[in-house]
Amino acid sequence: MRLSQVSFRYSRRGPWILKDVELSLHPGSVTEVTGHNGAGKSTLLRLLAGFLPPSHGSISDRPGTVGYAPDVFPTDQPFTVAAYLAHMSRIRGGSPASAVELAGRLNASHLLEQPLGDLSKGSAQKIGLIQALLAPPDLLILDEPFAGLDEQTRAELPLIIDEISSAGGMVVVSDHQNQLRAFPGAIHWLVADAAVTPHTPDPQARPADARLDHPWDADRLPPQVSKPSARQVVIQVIVDAGEADAVEQKLRADGYLTRRSS
Amino acid sequence: MIHLARFKLSAYARSHRLFQPMIGLLMMLAIFYSTLTPPGKELSAYADSAGLLILIFAWAARGLLDTEPPTQRLISMTAAGRPGREIGAGLLAALTVNLGMATIAVGLPLIHGFAAMPAPADLAGGIALHVLGVSAGTALGALTSRPILASPAVSMLVLFGGYLALLLISLTPVGRLSVPIMPWMRAANDGLLDEVLLPISAATLFWTAAGLTLYTRLRRLNP
Repeated sequence: MRLSQVSFRYSRRGPWILKDVELSLHPGSVTEVTGHNGAGKSTLLRLLAGFLPPSHGSISDRPGTVGYAPDVFPTDQPFTVAAYLAHMSRIRGGSPASAVELAGRLNASHLLEQPLGDLSKGSAQKIGLIQALLAPPDLLILDEPFAGLDEQTRAELPLIIDEISSAGGMVVVSDHQNQLRAFPGAIHWLVADAAVTPHTPDPQARPADARLDHPWDADRLPPQVSKPSARQVVIQVIVDAGEADAVEQKLRADGYLTRRSS
Repeated sequence: MIHLARFKLSAYARSHRLFQPMIGLLMMLAIFYSTLTPPGKELSAYADSAGLLILIFAWAARGLLDTEPPTQRLISMTAAGRPGREIGAGLLAALTVNLGMATIAVGLPLIHGFAAMPAPADLAGGIALHVLGVSAGTALGALTSRPILASPAVSMLVLFGGYLALLLISLTPVGRLSVPIMPWMRAANDGLLDEVLLPISAATLFWTAAGLTLYTRLRRLNP
């Protein structure tokens, strides 16, 4: 699959979200897309999935079977999990049994009879992953798949990614927390300033959230404390006490180290 | 595409959004047929029904296409294989709902509404006009659905305003070149529908096709 001189903006006079992007994806590749909020990661994924046509340039050789798991699964739908997945299976021409099997693997069997509207964020995220995997995808696109997942599923997801790539599928994961930084053979793209550039993450670095453990990770120390990879500065952010937790969570989710004082 | 259309219909039915246009349909039919239509006037009654129910058909199509959350539409596009199939499945589902409503609109007066059973030719004419109403209404509803007009207030204004504009334009000399609602009502009332049915159908289907083409193009930019 190839992106040739792809540029995109949402309106004729709007700013370029992506400009003259030149990329290739090969069968069996695992690509992690990183970048700050609003950098254009989700737009790049939507172009790759074929939801949006490029404003300029072209995308060629997109595979036939695409799996897409959104960053926020839409739970405001009038179905139980089982009924929803049965519909998605039929649309994909598969069997509902595969949904049950995937639910077992992602620790979601107990959710099957629940209405979608009753799901927590993490549970909804699992259903988003299951529907994307109902048919073995030639191209799997995961938008922030690790957000809100429990530890068992966090550990299982890289194994699933590995299985799909081993079978020749292309996997593209948007992840501003760099969860796949140490994934063997993964390619890393950085989206910034309307450009997509290859980059090499610090293999010793770890996500800001210390609970985010993976089977291939050996170092358990936060990188910002032990091995700063670039010059760092301290910015003080003063907030109301009631908002402190929310602001701290947002900063940690963006990969920043925070220290609180009162 | 059939399975995706069924998924959309199922979501529409379970969300109870169908109730609003269905109540509107039954209220309008109750008003149309509050007094029995005398023998020989059935085609005229059908023509009025088909023209006025375009608004209800548009409302139903808009409601159906608004049912899926935006992110689910993206998921459905990948599940169906390509975006065009998701767009097609939505239109197919809207058309199915509206054909069901049109069946009620044609069938109900046969049970209660007409003083006598209409002649087969009048029944066929009534069915043809309702099919034209369904096609125009589905296109208008699609063009006012959430992927095209995100604001519900603007969407409703455009839906009602668009229908009013169709009615008013069809009153003018160029009415036969637009969706000719008033011309088909007049022709049915004057017993001349057979003579004008072909150009009326051509004009209605042309504008329906234009509306659906525009909808499809806009959906590719606003998935």
